[in-house]
Amino acid sequence: MSERSRTVVIGLFDAVEEAGAAARALRTLPLPEADITTISSVALPDGAVVSDPRPIRFPWAVALFWFVGAVSGAGLTLYSYLVYPLVTAGKPIASVPPTMIVTYELAMLAALLATLVAGFLSIGLARYRARKVFDPRIHEGKIAVCAAVEPGEQALRAAAALKEAGGAEVRTEEGEL
Amino acid sequence: MSERHHLERQGEGGLYETLSRSNLVTTKGWYAAAGVLFALTAAAVGVFLYMMATGLGVTGLSRPVMWGTMIILFVFWIGLSHSGTLISAILRITQAGWRAPVLRGAEAMTVFALMVGGLFPLMHLGRNWRFYYMIPYPNERMLWPNFRSPLLWDMVAISTYLTGSILFLYFGMIPDLAAARDHATGWRKKLYTFLAAGFRGSHSEWRRYHVASTLFAVLIIPVAVSVHSIVSWDFAMAMVPGWHSTIFAPYFVAGAIYSGIAGVITVMAFLRRVFRLEHFLTVRHFDNLGKLLLTMTLIWGYFYFSEFLTTWYSRLPEDWELISSYGTHYLPLFLVMLTCNFLIPLPALCLSKVRRSIPAMFAVSLVVNVGMFAERALIVVPSLARRNDPSVWLGYFPTWVEISYIVGSVSMFALLYVLFSKLLPVMAISDIKEHLFRTTDRSIGAATVPSVAQEEEGEGE
Repeated sequence: MSERSRTVVIGLFDAVEEAGAAARALRTLPLPEADITTISSVALPDGAVVSDPRPIRFPWAVALFWFVGAVSGAGLTLYSYLVYPLVTAGKPIASVPPTMIVTYELAMLAALLATLVAGFLSIGLARYRARKVFDPRIHEGKIAVCAAVEPGEQALRAAAALKEAGGAEVRTEEGEL
Repeated sequence: MSERHHLERQGEGGLYETLSRSNLVTTKGWYAAAGVLFALTAAAVGVFLYMMATGLGVTGLSRPVMWGTMIILFVFWIGLSHSGTLISAILRITQAGWRAPVLRGAEAMTVFALMVGGLFPLMHLGRNWRFYYMIPYPNERMLWPNFRSPLLWDMVAISTYLTGSILFLYFGMIPDLAAARDHATGWRKKLYTFLAAGFRGSHSEWRRYHVASTLFAVLIIPVAVSVHSIVSWDFAMAMVPGWHSTIFAPYFVAGAIYSGIAGVITVMAFLRRVFRLEHFLTVRHFDNLGKLLLTMTLIWGYFYFSEFLTTWYSRLPEDWELISSYGTHYLPLFLVMLTCNFLIPLPALCLSKVRRSIPAMFAVSLVVNVGMFAERALIVVPSLARRNDPSVWLGYFPTWVEISYIVGSVSMFALLYVLFSKLLPVMAISDIKEHLFRTTDRSIGAATVPSVAQEEEGEGE
């Protein structure tokens, strides 16, 4: 079990309104916003059921890698001019237009790769061994409302709140939210 | 959302079955199509091996026409690849309501067209087995790529675009792969589990996923534009009549978008028919794509006329000889280009009846790509065949080897698409679901109209 694993209460809901009522009930227990989430087959607007309080910062990493790529591209071409000074048709050995093209393309390539890696890290993807809470019935149109709770009294109260809001098959399991 | 939304009406389970029909049902027709396409592709590969063994002399290439069908095919397929990712990215960023059924097919078209197109410069090399000389890595041969060669620019740009397009296609597919994982069994489940990378659809995952998707879309648009500009500079950087022109980069980009949109329409019409997606790929999608194609017909015509008029009026001898050859040696090719790229599509696409008829749109899209192939041939061959020195003027006609590459490239592209449709979700299921989820029927007076809910920019921050 990973360090991030916690006790999670899960309830399935048919409609967004019911899921919203369940999330409100969980907040009044009280549970912090960061400990409540939904799992759904379509993206729900932020605030429709829960809000995500964590800021999204990975685009800055993409911007940083854009510069890293640009420096690599410029470095590669400039290094080539220095180490392999080929004379071509009276052109200057250190020619600016090819440097611009290679710099631009490598900058974009680095940014695209960084988007994938940073996106994966930010979403928490490719952690195949992690045990995350999930219910495949979301593909039948259900919305799972999940709350990370302390085992015992708080878990019981959260389960009761989900049932009261109309949640079906409310259960408690260990896993990552 | 208190009204009954369109997703409820569809039923999510049934929706998945309908949209994943290509993965779930394997017909005899699929095996037949895959078999024929594989045979044609294998035959073209065989011809290539023959050319490798015997040399480029088996092609119609000669001095001074040293670029022929392989370079025409390279420019054609790279151009065709242009619009898939570009359209998808623009539609994603602008949140166009009708985008969802078009996205995946268009993105996949880009990747496969790039895979096919990228092969031709390598095939054209002559000593193909030395292709890795273009890759900059320390070696004992004291060889290093010459970055002042546009061939290197091509390699850098196409590698970036191919990588970006594959990432864009894959990232957009992750929620659909997660759905496929939860429906599949056996080896497919293992494959989808790996590719979905543990995506569940939690609120935080969706938010970050949308930010990353938008970022991909924003980044891929300038790359798409740069790739075809760089392909154009393969020509424009040379002091060859007809090529050395400042308009070449925007003209190539416009032509690429034009043929790419036509390619998207061809693929959409094909997918709709074969996988019975009539309910999702509707007349409205073809009408909208038809309007885009009409816009590009006009832009392409404007660029072509603008370039033509400059040469026509200034009459520089070397340029005028080239243009004159369009009326003699290359008249059939010129007429095919003019008819297929302008005279047929312009009036046809002005008619809403044509835009709203899927067979007609399929036909127009094919006609446009025939015209674009002729246009690529007119760019590559006549400029070399009618260079500055009349003593070296020569004609060019492709041999059976090069004609087999034309057939092989089409069949390879189709084969990749056929395999893709069997293995991976060919429709953007999660985008379609989201669109249906956000669509409700709203009453305005006595009329009921579908209404799509959308957040305002910056809402929720």
